[in-house]
Amino acid sequence: MNAIVPSLLQVEGVGHAFGGVHVLSSVSFNVPHGGLIGLIGPNGSGKTTLFNIICGFVHPLTGRVLFDNRALDRSSNVVQRSRHGLLRTFQTPKVFEHLSVLENVMAGLYKCSRGGVLASMLRMPLARREMLRMQELAEATCNVFGLGSMMQRPAGSLTAGARRNVELARAVVSEPRLLMLDEPSSGLAKEEVGQLREQLARINQSGLAILLVSHDMDLMSMVDRVHVLSSGEIIASGTMAEMHRNPEVQQVYLGL
Amino acid sequence: MDRSLLPDSVRAGSASTRHSGGRGLALVLTCVSLAAAPLLLSVHYVDLLVFAALLAISGLGVGFLLGQAGIINLAQVAFYGIGAYATAHVTVAWNLPGLLGLLLGVVISAAFALVMGLPLLRLSGHFLALATLALMVIVTQLFFEWDWLTGGSLGIGGIPKISLFGWTFDTPMKFYYFAWPIALLCFWMLSNIADGRPGLAMRAMRDSPEAAEVMAVDSTALRTKLFVLSAILGSISGSLFAHYVGYISVESFTLERTIVMIMAPVIGGVRNPWSALPGAIFLSFLPELLSPLGEVYRILFGLGLVLVIILFPQGLLGIANWRRVK
Repeated sequence: MNAIVPSLLQVEGVGHAFGGVHVLSSVSFNVPHGGLIGLIGPNGSGKTTLFNIICGFVHPLTGRVLFDNRALDRSSNVVQRSRHGLLRTFQTPKVFEHLSVLENVMAGLYKCSRGGVLASMLRMPLARREMLRMQELAEATCNVFGLGSMMQRPAGSLTAGARRNVELARAVVSEPRLLMLDEPSSGLAKEEVGQLREQLARINQSGLAILLVSHDMDLMSMVDRVHVLSSGEIIASGTMAEMHRNPEVQQVYLGL
Repeated sequence: MDRSLLPDSVRAGSASTRHSGGRGLALVLTCVSLAAAPLLLSVHYVDLLVFAALLAISGLGVGFLLGQAGIINLAQVAFYGIGAYATAHVTVAWNLPGLLGLLLGVVISAAFALVMGLPLLRLSGHFLALATLALMVIVTQLFFEWDWLTGGSLGIGGIPKISLFGWTFDTPMKFYYFAWPIALLCFWMLSNIADGRPGLAMRAMRDSPEAAEVMAVDSTALRTKLFVLSAILGSISGSLFAHYVGYISVESFTLERTIVMIMAPVIGGVRNPWSALPGAIFLSFLPELLSPLGEVYRILFGLGLVLVIILFPQGLLGIANWRRVK
């Protein structure tokens, strides 16, 4: 019998509508501590809206989201959720285009540091030490993510694959507790997807929980459990192998 | 991550020291040049350089907002006016030292920027620009209407020269050595912000507000702090202007003035926190150099600005890079 792993993220009966059109209806699922959970579904099934609700960009009309047993209500915005360790990437990578790759990754360490406007303005030793430490950690992270040779390049000049990598490195360096990845393999070449898969496995093994949205079945094969979203409802949950055998999932999504 | 993916030496921390030697040298050269300039120039040009210092300080505020955080602030002349009127009142009506006027202007401007910034800075892009323009129009209109306070179009005269520790800065040369160190100190402090953690957050926010929020950058708080800082610089500049000229009226605080305050950093290369410095000197000297040509100088001045923007899209400070690229 499997031991019961406490949930890090609990989505309970979440529903949402835009202009009277229901995009999510009573969606419930959990992400355990250190788990790797997948979310699949056809385009327009509500995956990105669900991501936006979990990370605080959108507030649900019904239901609630709990993170580490704390309800995340309207007063908990994106910034606060990020500080609690709930981080996401975007379907189209949102790198800071005019910042170098190194600065992008350093931006991920923003919440791990405290130097304010006054300390920086007066060039206080604490602020300088903190920036040096951020730079050092960011450089090491760039090397781990294969970005070492392009650290000084503006992120806006990178290929789609490298941008994904920058976004991932920036998210991971901030030591989140739950990383939500929205289509991380979109726009990547096959070998780049392989590298991404290896990185995700390594990150997950280090204890970080991951919620993964992807259409890439090869990438999804690494998840512990997957939930299938269709027309705003979860229609099936289980392992990927189980989903492949599920006739309803095959009909609405897998197209087999 | 659990940073277990990083090498042990990095996780333990071994903060090495890095210096940006080139920029330090540029700063030293700038200081030396500015210190030597009055010894080589006539009083007339020293006078122009004093005005350039005042423009550089107010331009630094708006340029910092624009270049680092992408905020267009067209209300700077309002804070410039608050600083000037505070100085005028404290020194003329209350007969108190000029330094108190400068401090009062800073306090009023900061408080006003905070109160106005909280609602205004929820806007972005051209909506925010228009809102700050509206703020500028309202405040400058109040300067005109509240003639019991500002003297209206008659203005307030007899503002004494500023004194510090018994030393009165009563000539262009003396005022030059008072205004430029203040300007350089302001530039140094704001460039430190740009180099530090808040600067990183500002530029991230400018490039992608959503992603910056996900990185826990509280954009409302940061934008408000920057707006207040910019207002303080505008106020300091206005106070110094009142002391230097000795007379202020509503004519001193116009839309044209606020546009010049934005042009200074744009001409200098707005992404660089030091941009307002060369921009202000350029804008102060170019009309003077062209004026012997007669009325046509205004056209040539406009043409000169357009040429600088077209030829050096990264501003005057980008010329070195431009030559390297060529």
